[in-house]
Amino acid sequence: MAILNKKSKVSDEIPSASMADIAFLLLVFFLVTTVFPRDRGLRVVLPEEAEEVEVSQRNILHIHIMTNGTVELRRGESENISTIAPGALQQIWRTEVAANPNLIAAVKTHPDAAHRFMIAVLDALQMAGAERISLQLLEEG
Amino acid sequence: MALKGAGFERKSKASDEIPSSSLADIAFLLLIFFMVTTVFRQETDRQIEWPQAEATQQIDEQRDNILNIWVERNGDLWVNDRPIAMESVADLVGPLWLESGQRLIISIRADSQAPYRFVDSLQEQLKRSGAVYVVFATEMERSLTRERR
Repeated sequence: MAILNKKSKVSDEIPSASMADIAFLLLVFFLVTTVFPRDRGLRVVLPEEAEEVEVSQRNILHIHIMTNGTVELRRGESENISTIAPGALQQIWRTEVAANPNLIAAVKTHPDAAHRFMIAVLDALQMAGAERISLQLLEEG
Repeated sequence: MALKGAGFERKSKASDEIPSSSLADIAFLLLIFFMVTTVFRQETDRQIEWPQAEATQQIDEQRDNILNIWVERNGDLWVNDRPIAMESVADLVGPLWLESGQRLIISIRADSQAPYRFVDSLQEQLKRSGAVYVVFATEMERSLTRERR
């Protein structure tokens, strides 16, 4: 029985040397194709369509954004308009809201003003912790 | 007991090869991590200039519940790689809003230079459709020029 006694030289293990290569190949594929989601931004909740709330003028801070990015500020009933830079709004809001906790920011943006100017104002308000913000279009005239 | 040849001739039993058996395990572990975390691109990004904001926050919501609406500088709107008309936004978003169980978040990805009139019209359309959760997509502002208090 010479044949049966001969030991096979072929290994009886599954070859694992190439396993790493296969895995790395797949790994590289996923590394290359992966896109991590970039879902970030400034959250707002829009009012529902029929929702119209009467607010006393005393509780409104009118913020008008002009085409050149300057911000015109008017407090409720007063006729005084002060022009400020968007960066200064954060501190102003903090002071105003400390005096009147019910204050609402009525942001009206000029139709031709760039989107980023509105974002700058919204950013300043959110950084200052403002929660009651209304976004509207500034009517010309 | 005296060592033969002061121990220099003794053959080490440790293999002189780099152990490659655990390499596959490491690779598979990484592979599974990437397979699980991968989200395949659903749409191609439009070329827009992102507005920047310091208050930028991460939106923790399932990918399926986020709808991106791109607003280009000239006012063109794009959803899922297709241009759409401003007037049809409400009709498009309305059913999706109901389908998502009123959880849908609209990510307005507007170019920083886009005139605000387009962003406002879009908001009006969204109000009509009922979708009230909106995110103005921004990049995190990292400039140190602005004074933080």
